[in-house]
Amino acid sequence: MTGYLVRRTGQMVLTLFLIITFTFFLVQAQPGDYASFYVLNPDLPPEVKDQIRTAFGLDKPVWQQYLIHLKNTFTGNLGVSFGNFPRPVLDVLAERVPRTLVLFLTATAVSFYIGFFLGKAIAWRRGGLFEYAATISGAMLFTAFTPAFALMMIWAFAFKLGWFPVGKFLDPLVWRGADVSANYVFGNMLLSAAAFITFALLVMLCLKRFGRRVPSVVAFPVVLGGALVIVAVWALSGIGGLALDIVKHMVLPVATLTLISFAGTMLLTRNSMLETIREDYVMAARAKGLPDKQVRDRHAARNAMLPIVTSLVYSLIFAIDGSVIIESVFSWPGTGLTLLQAVRSEDLPLVMGAMLFIGTLSLLAHVIVDVLYVYLDPRIRYQ
Amino acid sequence: MTDRSDSLLKVDGLSLSYQTRQGELQAVRDVSFELARGSALGLVGESGCGKTTVANCLMRLLPDNARISAGRVLLDGQDVLLLTEEEMRLRRWRRISMVFQAAMNVLDPVYRVGQQIIEAIETHGVESTDIGARERVARLFRMVGLDPQLMERYPHEFSGGMRQRAVIAMALSCDPDLMIADEPTTALDVIVQDRILRELKAIQQPLGMSIIYISHDIAVVAEVTDVVGVMYAGRLVEMGDTADVFRAPAHPYTAALVSSFPSVSGERRPLTSLPGEPPNLSDLPPGCPFHPRCAYATDVCRTEYPPRAASGSRWAACWHPLDATLVPQS
Ligand SMILES: Nc1ncnc2c1ncn2[C@@H]1O[C@H](COP(=O)(O)OP(=O)(O)OP(=O)(O)O)[C@@H](O)[C@H]1O
Ligand code: SF4
Ligand SMILES: [Mg+2]
Repeated sequence: MTGYLVRRTGQMVLTLFLIITFTFFLVQAQPGDYASFYVLNPDLPPEVKDQIRTAFGLDKPVWQQYLIHLKNTFTGNLGVSFGNFPRPVLDVLAERVPRTLVLFLTATAVSFYIGFFLGKAIAWRRGGLFEYAATISGAMLFTAFTPAFALMMIWAFAFKLGWFPVGKFLDPLVWRGADVSANYVFGNMLLSAAAFITFALLVMLCLKRFGRRVPSVVAFPVVLGGALVIVAVWALSGIGGLALDIVKHMVLPVATLTLISFAGTMLLTRNSMLETIREDYVMAARAKGLPDKQVRDRHAARNAMLPIVTSLVYSLIFAIDGSVIIESVFSWPGTGLTLLQAVRSEDLPLVMGAMLFIGTLSLLAHVIVDVLYVYLDPRIRYQ
Repeated sequence: MTDRSDSLLKVDGLSLSYQTRQGELQAVRDVSFELARGSALGLVGESGCGKTTVANCLMRLLPDNARISAGRVLLDGQDVLLLTEEEMRLRRWRRISMVFQAAMNVLDPVYRVGQQIIEAIETHGVESTDIGARERVARLFRMVGLDPQLMERYPHEFSGGMRQRAVIAMALSCDPDLMIADEPTTALDVIVQDRILRELKAIQQPLGMSIIYISHDIAVVAEVTDVVGVMYAGRLVEMGDTADVFRAPAHPYTAALVSSFPSVSGERRPLTSLPGEPPNLSDLPPGCPFHPRCAYATDVCRTEYPPRAASGSRWAACWHPLDATLVPQS
């Protein structure tokens, strides 16, 4: 297990290195350089132009520039964003990355949960109207053209029904006169979410450790109680309204992403379940007299989950790629939108930073899924 | 042999068919037998004759395309075919347990072996505490010759023989009245096979448990059972005390089976040397289905199904039984 993790980490560092190299030369390959803006300005005298080129290090040979870039990247110096001058790229990303992560992790978690739940249900009771409806609507959503579907969602729920805001991260009217920054509120929201998830996991873990005789009827109210405490703290904090505003802005993009992607998990779960249902251990579970639900969840679905977890990593990466589209449509100021704007305005340091982030995230997703898989499948754990 | 009046299981006129793409396949026809508490019954016959199907019927674990068209399965006088699914569920494993034919994959790969046995014990409330359940599993492991520490291991860490023992321990875990062992040792090598069989026999008697032992291998059946039923093309064709049936078979099919084994207690071979084709269940010949392969067949065999010829508890469904003491019943 340790050796496995070491090997995996080594692979990750290597891939990261390749990503950095690739982005560097990709940017090199495009016409012009960092200093073109200034250098092309006819009003500047030649010696100033040279001065700028020297300041950027552009007078050095490419391989030297590359080494410097490599060193800077690994020491966390991603340069300064042109578009957000004088903010460093790292600072801009630190603001935008959590917004993207929250959006996509929430959507992935919700769509995975719904997809898995529906998938196992339709595989277990085959051939009903329910299976038919779920499969058809799932397939339709799955194949829908993302921007068009997102616009439809905005039109229906924001424009016609007016339940949610049309887009953006927050409503300036709500925030006027607020003495805290959006990043501060959002950061605290993230902390609360992390605290809640940790709490819920701990409760589940305790349940598993200290006797299976404690029914989930007990666990659920405890978790719910934890959620209520957090909500109450926010309500009393005085910035609850601001947090609520951000949440409101999140609902529609999360819902859109969820609707687009739950069907993938659902259909995959269904197929995987149809395989495991035929396994001898499922027959044995039934022979042992276990209740139907236990046979389905503890044995058939638990084993059906293995291939789905593998697919999760790919769907996560696609989702992050798709962040450019979704964030543009919903004007959600996350990494995707930032990347798009940076490309348009030739904010090269920011482009490279955002690409590095997306690459790193894909790598992380791979590792997380690997570790999850090791946890889920004892056959791998002991290899 | 145990007192026959103390009947645990009575199967009466059981018939079952599978719906297949080729049409209806009658896998079990009019099967009747009785099993006394604490005794061991063998079911033998070629592959595809319906042994597993009968076993699955007793547990009501049938695939969706199976339909029971007639018959009763009385467990302590109660017809299990009439129970609700929930009533049946509570009887599975508690009253009737099973060692499956494909025992290699019966253990769920993602759970510890001990945990899978504890799961059954908890479901049926056989032990009231976690510690009690664990102790019971340890006891069972020792009984089948496994180190109790192995209960913390996963199935893929077990060898074939260990898995088989674990599956037997699992089948014993809720003190069932009846254990069905469907080819429990075929996947194993002969030495392991022998040892497990001997242990099984040693366990069964003190527990007062009944066993239905299903096998191709009549040598094994001769070793472990009191009564034996011989199946051919979905029917029971001969039944009686194991020793009698194998010493002096009355049905020509039984005789062919026995003679294909040079010595019932000696060398073991699979049932491949039987002359002729095994029957096709969806297209059985009229009359006695064995007649195309039978050296004693006459005209009546080709047109009419034979009645039983019986003597005491011993019977055979044949027009010309090889044992003259059996007299035809009208
Ligand atoms: N689910 C099913 N659908 C259709 N036909 C089936 C099904 N299960 C079994 N059969 C058929 O029913 C017949 C009896 O099968 P069964 O498994 O009971 O035989 P068996 O005596 O246990 O054979 P073996 O010794 O090979 O295990 C066979 O012809 C088989 O092809
Ligand atoms: S009834 Fe006739 S064909 Fe059938 S086994 Fe007896 S002798 Fe052979
Ligand atoms: Mg079988």
